[in-house]
Amino acid sequence: MQPIPTPDETRANQNFAALLGALSRPGQIHRLAAPGEAEIIQALIDRECRVFSADPGLGAMLRQTGALMVEPQEADHLFLGALSDLALLNLLSLGSDLYPDDGATVVIQAGLSQSQAQTLRLSGPGIETTLDVTITGLPNEFWSARRDLIRYPMGFDLFLLDGADVMGIPRSTMVEVF
Amino acid sequence: MAYVATRGGERAIDQAERLFRAEMGEIDAARVEEIRRAMPYLVDRVMGEASLYDPDIAALALAQTGGELYEAVLLLRAWRTTQPRLQVAEPVAQEDLVTHRRISAAFKDIPGGQVLGPTLDYAHRLLATEVLTGTPYTPAAVEPAETPAPAKQPSVAHWQAANDLVDLPEPDTTAPEDIPDITREPLLFPAKRAHSLQSLARAETGSTLALGYAAMRGYGKAHPTVNELRLAEAEVMVKHPKGTVFSAGRVKVSQAEVVSKSGDKLQLGFAATLGWNEVKCIAAATLDLNSAGAEKGSATEEEFYLYHTEGVESSGFCIHFKLPHYVTFQSSLDAMRDANSKNANSKQEEPAT
Amino acid sequence: MSLSSLTKPWEPMSYGFLDPSAKRELRRKMLKAVAVPGCQMPYASREVPMARGWGTGGLQVSLTLINPKTRVKVIDQGADDSVNAASIRRFLARVSGAPTTLDTLDADLIQSRHRIPEEKLRADQILVLQVPNPEPLRPVEPNMSIARQMHGDADYGRMWLQLYEQIVRSGRVMQGASYPSMVNGRHVMTPSPIPRWDVPKLHMAKHLTILSAGREKRIFAVPPFTRVEPLVFDDVPYRVEEHGQLTCYRSGAEGFFMNEIPQPDGSALHEISDSEYGVKHIRTAQGEPDARGETWYQNGQMEDTP
Repeated sequence: MQPIPTPDETRANQNFAALLGALSRPGQIHRLAAPGEAEIIQALIDRECRVFSADPGLGAMLRQTGALMVEPQEADHLFLGALSDLALLNLLSLGSDLYPDDGATVVIQAGLSQSQAQTLRLSGPGIETTLDVTITGLPNEFWSARRDLIRYPMGFDLFLLDGADVMGIPRSTMVEVF
Repeated sequence: MAYVATRGGERAIDQAERLFRAEMGEIDAARVEEIRRAMPYLVDRVMGEASLYDPDIAALALAQTGGELYEAVLLLRAWRTTQPRLQVAEPVAQEDLVTHRRISAAFKDIPGGQVLGPTLDYAHRLLATEVLTGTPYTPAAVEPAETPAPAKQPSVAHWQAANDLVDLPEPDTTAPEDIPDITREPLLFPAKRAHSLQSLARAETGSTLALGYAAMRGYGKAHPTVNELRLAEAEVMVKHPKGTVFSAGRVKVSQAEVVSKSGDKLQLGFAATLGWNEVKCIAAATLDLNSAGAEKGSATEEEFYLYHTEGVESSGFCIHFKLPHYVTFQSSLDAMRDANSKNANSKQEEPAT
Repeated sequence: MSLSSLTKPWEPMSYGFLDPSAKRELRRKMLKAVAVPGCQMPYASREVPMARGWGTGGLQVSLTLINPKTRVKVIDQGADDSVNAASIRRFLARVSGAPTTLDTLDADLIQSRHRIPEEKLRADQILVLQVPNPEPLRPVEPNMSIARQMHGDADYGRMWLQLYEQIVRSGRVMQGASYPSMVNGRHVMTPSPIPRWDVPKLHMAKHLTILSAGREKRIFAVPPFTRVEPLVFDDVPYRVEEHGQLTCYRSGAEGFFMNEIPQPDGSALHEISDSEYGVKHIRTAQGEPDARGETWYQNGQMEDTP
């Protein structure tokens, strides 16, 4: 008999492919099955996770996964919505040199469309030489705050979400602001 | 097409598996039932190492693998992987165990009494060869004691603690659903206490004995005295979604507590497992007793013994050497030949004095 | 909250064998592995219906990535018809319904033990390497806790010393397969027991490589366009196996990694290790359309060796 994936499995599989593609190729836009954080939550989050959400709208879904809702500094996954307060970044778990995997995964809403806003130049693993991208909707100084926080291999990994579009910026990516 | 018949590999493995299974022939429910009835200790051992309590499934695994123990445990562990985790049971306390056998070597008598229970310890190990020539062996009937031993027995260590002989570990108040679970998290070092005890609970009996025995013979710092050994049944208490707690049944468990003198106090080593397996529990408790402060790389160091008593991993790695390694071998040959030819050249160049 | 919202219909086995929580854990760890290239990330590593040491790490990654449209290729020592490759391929197909292929160019997902195919992998392909021992430091430090600290401190002095001693004693680096390599300038990784021939294929590659050790419960990754530099001294260059001049006696292919086949008369023949590439070579010689893709090595030389 031919095994058939459940709709949940298909959705999680497709969304993870997008997330893995996005983190492997920083700056490229990948597409989730549908808009919103729910797609990421369904693929990654369960009772093994400690989660912080700045978006009350996600609370019900996150609780349903069995994840423990915690303060930002204790969270392994953070859903920050449209980030307004840069101070949150200072609370992120960065892992340790021994266990860099303890560094947080952070999902933030941002504008990923081509517009004339801040242009960033990305380089590092996943990028052949450099890649210029345009990201809007993040607080000023976001990228310099990120640079100051990350002490590779300690750091945090970002997913920027714009509807169903997702861009990954792992800690290994160098971001220059023009 | 002149090259490899690619399907050849698949046909070969198919036929090889058939050869193995042909020896066992047809497996029916009666065979599984007979294994379960005739070999409870073997079934227990497999359940303990698989960390899955289900005598029927374990007997089936033994039937399917013809008693190849490592294969049977692997079969159960792989099946276990697919099973949903519905509930975390309530903690089990020693005092609540329905105890069949419970002895202490530390005292002549203990509160609650020495309960020998089922054992071959004092039996003469003689084969009933008459069975082979047609005379069945019928064991003598058990004569019940006039006053049965109480089903529940107090803990010896609690008596010792009350007499200031031992410091009991701080009670662990972690909520059951928050207890770290070795089947869902990697084992890292220094190991969490829960991971360490869980690993010992599902350790392979033979390798646990080998390392425990090494510790007993002097490769460990502490010499064990069996403070308490129990074979028992534990109620599996789970919570109904409505909130009521009820027993989902009983599982056989064994546990051993060993002690050794450390300064003016006794030091405790502990191990427990699903099913009745005394040798494993005593050996595992001995390793636990010796692990504090053990030298890196010694047999009693936690990382050393937890890694090397993991039966599914060790047996799997051992048999993996049967897989072809000709690419790695070729790679080494290349380096060796080059080094040898360099060597030969440099010898030729040496002056002939 | 109702009971039905907490439960799901009973299934005898999850799609792709692993249950959803096992897959989620693997997904989270794969993301971390990609974020810190070459760094070994611990994971729980479920038991699967295959013995530990037989590709269970690679299998768990493949089972997580697979869907009914994923075209899967499985090789062992370069060959699709190797018995364990056949067994893994059959299992993957059985639990996922995914189509299988022998053609490297046709595959979406390639699970491999000890080889990287000779044809170049593309950006849309994922290579999963089975790893027996994830710790490159084990020959100099068997204790995992100490080895982890050494990675944390980027303390690779003993590794270098070992290579130096080999050169002094034998006139060359004696490491055969599993050549230790620096990834993204920070973590020394074992590329798994692939021959030295294959290591440069990981450097600044277009594809993502995921390396997974099931028994040792570690996962690590080489994202696309990531530096993978074999540890070498400036004045002692990295050397792949001297197979560049060898010819496959069956297919006539020349300049690829070969298996050595001892002959009764004391001599040896060579056959190409990437079996399906050999098949393509034969087919082309027999007049079929040339289905061979671009290869990393040309005329026995890696195009731009790092």
